[in-house]
Amino acid sequence: MKKIILVLLFLGALSLPAQNIVRYDLYVRDTLVNFTGKEKRAIAVNGQIPMPTLTFTEGDIAEIYVHNELEEETALHWHGLFLPNKEDGVPYLTQMPIPPHTVHKYTFPIVQHGTHWYHSHFGLQEQIGMYGSMILKKRPDDKTFRKGIDDLPTIPIVLSEWTDYNPENVHRMLHNASDWFAIKKGTTQSYAEAINSGNFKIKLHNEWKRMNAMDVSDVYYDKFLINGKSENEDTSLKGLKAGDKVRLRISNGGASSYFWLTYSGGKITVVANDGNDVEPVDVDRMLIAVSETYDVVVTIPADNTAFEFLATPEDRTKSASIYLGDGIKQLTSPLPKLKYFEGMEMMNGMMKMNGDLDQMGMNMSMQQMDMNVVMYPEITGSTENAMDSKMKMDTQEPSDPKMHHMKGMDEMKGMDEMKKTDGMDGMKMNEEMYNSNELSEITTLNYAMLKSPTMTTLPEDAPLKELHFTLTGNMNRYVWSLGNKVISESDKILIKKGEKVRITMYNNSMMRHPMHLHGHDFRLLNGQGDYAPLKNVVDIMPMETDVFEFEANAEGDWFFHCHILYHMMSGMGRVFSYEDSPPNPLIPNPELALKKLKGDDREFHLMAENNFATNGIEGQAMLGSTRWEIKTLWHLGYHAMHGYESETMVGRYFGKMQWLMPYVGFDYHYKIEGGPSNIFGDETNNWFGQKSNKNDRQAAVVGVAYTLPMLFIADMRVDSAGKFRFQLGREDIPVSQRLRMAMMINTDKEYMAGLRYILGKNVGVSTHYDSDMGVGFGVSLNY
Amino acid sequence: MKSIFNILTILSVVLSTTSGFSQIKNPQTETVKIFGNCELCKTPIENAGKIKNTASVAWNKDTQMAEVTFDSKKTNRDEILKRIALAGYDNDQFLAPDHAYAQLADCCKYERLNKAPAMVMEESKTEMKMPESKMEMTFPSSENHMDMAMPDTKMEMNMPNSENHTDMVMPETMEPNALNTVFNTYFAIKDALVKTNATSATAKAAELLNAIKALKVETLKTEQQATVTKVLPSIMDAAKKISETKDISKQRETFKSLSKNIHEIITFYNATETLYYQYCPMQDANWLSKDKTIKNPYYGSQMLSCGSNVETINTKN
Repeated sequence: MKKIILVLLFLGALSLPAQNIVRYDLYVRDTLVNFTGKEKRAIAVNGQIPMPTLTFTEGDIAEIYVHNELEEETALHWHGLFLPNKEDGVPYLTQMPIPPHTVHKYTFPIVQHGTHWYHSHFGLQEQIGMYGSMILKKRPDDKTFRKGIDDLPTIPIVLSEWTDYNPENVHRMLHNASDWFAIKKGTTQSYAEAINSGNFKIKLHNEWKRMNAMDVSDVYYDKFLINGKSENEDTSLKGLKAGDKVRLRISNGGASSYFWLTYSGGKITVVANDGNDVEPVDVDRMLIAVSETYDVVVTIPADNTAFEFLATPEDRTKSASIYLGDGIKQLTSPLPKLKYFEGMEMMNGMMKMNGDLDQMGMNMSMQQMDMNVVMYPEITGSTENAMDSKMKMDTQEPSDPKMHHMKGMDEMKGMDEMKKTDGMDGMKMNEEMYNSNELSEITTLNYAMLKSPTMTTLPEDAPLKELHFTLTGNMNRYVWSLGNKVISESDKILIKKGEKVRITMYNNSMMRHPMHLHGHDFRLLNGQGDYAPLKNVVDIMPMETDVFEFEANAEGDWFFHCHILYHMMSGMGRVFSYEDSPPNPLIPNPELALKKLKGDDREFHLMAENNFATNGIEGQAMLGSTRWEIKTLWHLGYHAMHGYESETMVGRYFGKMQWLMPYVGFDYHYKIEGGPSNIFGDETNNWFGQKSNKNDRQAAVVGVAYTLPMLFIADMRVDSAGKFRFQLGREDIPVSQRLRMAMMINTDKEYMAGLRYILGKNVGVSTHYDSDMGVGFGVSLNY
Repeated sequence: MKSIFNILTILSVVLSTTSGFSQIKNPQTETVKIFGNCELCKTPIENAGKIKNTASVAWNKDTQMAEVTFDSKKTNRDEILKRIALAGYDNDQFLAPDHAYAQLADCCKYERLNKAPAMVMEESKTEMKMPESKMEMTFPSSENHMDMAMPDTKMEMNMPNSENHTDMVMPETMEPNALNTVFNTYFAIKDALVKTNATSATAKAAELLNAIKALKVETLKTEQQATVTKVLPSIMDAAKKISETKDISKQRETFKSLSKNIHEIITFYNATETLYYQYCPMQDANWLSKDKTIKNPYYGSQMLSCGSNVETINTKN
């Protein structure tokens, strides 16, 4: 007996060195950062943003101690890793959040290799610093070890963004359809801008289809960062010479930014995606979706020069650079500004009157057909520079790949210049010069180009479970969902171990979504047959249909969600739950946890505005959630003859586009005779001949509001005295970049028109005319 | 009361920022090298670096040195120099993107002393040194060039020739391939429509009309004659219609039937490259292209990439 124990001990000791334990201690602390000249709160881990790069080798055992020194809870998710469900780091789903001033140990075996990353999955902490790179190295004896790729010097790169606004506030502003971010980005697409650029009809058509200004991203950011800096010099690799190759392990840790990647030293060779090897493919540029990872190889083409690797967010407002090599910095051409009205016209064509997208018989998939291309001057630029192309045709061998790249970049720059100098004339001339043969000079990566070097087929005899999802959304109220149901409105999706799960997704919303599956890699069916690439994030563009499948080979609950942080927090996701899983020891009270999980998208967001005018005070406050809205508005004259009025209502939105809102509420109106004379005459009766009773009305109301084409809201209600009211009104008509117009008329012979000039995020100056209070000028504050 | 106070503060802030002359706080001045050749470079360099109340640049063309003054709390030397380099001017810290440099006025094209020779970049140097005059000379024919840009060296040689030259010579000298002019002008019309260029489409359609009139069906191979005779009237009709209007939407409408008929005879084309028969679902119409990448002639830049390849045609014979 003793012998056996001895032998067992001996075996245990033997196996230990083979299972190398790698320990990291992460101290999570509040910190102050200064990216813009102002000190703002952020969260740093071990004193740094991004969080430290964690490196493991396949076969290691990871032990990660998270010391939560914040005053709030947290949880860390290991993005793209296969691990036991309780280590996955999703608060209220796979564990309870880590309480303040406690230590939590994550431990799991490293059973894969590749570039991954980790981030906080708690609240909006990811936005303010909690993201970092996680590198899982191949063992040198790995069969799939690729000489010339896996043995190159590497640089971990984490892309991210920074906003000086508190992320809670960003989230709230998005839900309130604030256009402050558009103003900051210069993308208001107002009527004045539309008219000036000859796009009035397009703008009109756009509002007819009930769309607000279009954009490719939701949030305005102050800075974009590579490894925590906008301008970054690589110091890890010394003495790079001409001809040296470098592997960049890139993770997009941005909360809501896609990045274009370009390189001043030539082509970018893509060698892995989401931690899985792909056959090397050369591109001039590529877009990395939120939360994706790509491994790329670049060459240093000259001595004594540092070459710029440029990350430009999709909205192209700013950029971040890292310089590879030593010496003077060789820049690459910035990406020219987007042509928003072209994009708007494209959206008009795509959008049906009922808010659905119209595929028009096209099969869009795998990022191959990019509708956004109409906005890219470097591709459809209309500013194709014929002189330039001509010049190059004369001097270059078209077969030289380097020159292809240069040519592409040349066009970009050329167009940019043309646009600046020629304005409208330039547009016309550019159409003349538009050279279709040259268009394909810029090679942009898309999913169809990714091919796994090894077979990725799943067991054929496994039972197939097919699931279909339609991605749905509504920008006006910032509701994002699957099949028009947010997380809190849907049940967990049950899957069985051993099944093959095939998911077909169609994106019927106006934004692209990077959909991420926890704990599994899926095969993206991209036309590469048995060699379909393995991924854990799929970026799906509007109107695209993508199909992917994975082997259900785990246990527990796994999150599947849009990785745009604010979309996820709005409820865009589902939970895949393995049937008959053992209970998770880290979730002692599953019911409470589920309630908390669903709490994220059940949150109400407050909006309030008040106008202090010379003729009175008016304003409104609103609490909104996914479906509900509680709103109260007030008009308080300084004299009784200008009236005191307040309307309160509680309503529920219906439909995917949320154009319909029935409500109940309460009206109070007190006024004495002697206010401004009404242009419609006597105010005692409304247009239906019913008694209006403004002098002392206290009435319950029931009504329905409906958003009409041109974004006017038709509001029909009846009060407890039997009086009907029909009202037509619209706020925030974008007259110019910062000027907004409002107008309203109703059957109680009340009417109003006003203008507001937006000075800042929370302040504006306004003037309005109101049938009760007359002309007024004032300052409006909004929250 | 508070509101009035607010108005006043806001107004005063607005006024103080919009009026007044530029004044840089926390000033710091550095002298740096910025490449440039002539007086023409001065304004672009200084404007690229300048930010109101934050940074200013004074460049001297003789010394090629600049005094850079900036608010050290808001910006730094490198940010200013990066903007200047992006405008095309190499300096101590940054090399301009090659294409920004290529855009500079001729006299501004300084010698790029700081730029280290790249392994495979010799070509790019020649590109940069291309004199402006040559670009202008070749420019008028560039449109023709685009239509003809095939990997066939003989065609390339013909590039500088004017359009009429092509018209006159091709049908006569290339008798065995008399149909090729028809196809070439068809692709030229297609490219014009992709570019939303009605004028060019009109001109090319007129050429097509001439080419058809000059075509002697009896000179064609026997097996081709029947098919060609069948579709020729429709092609002629379409060419006439396109050549008689400057309305791009009418041209595009007519182009549908033209494409359909050309497709009937496309196998007689002695093309050196693979051709693609492409389809636009929104117009329910096809067209032919030499380029696999979709460039939709029915929409131009509005929806350039809409459509798909429905047939790949190899005419190498």
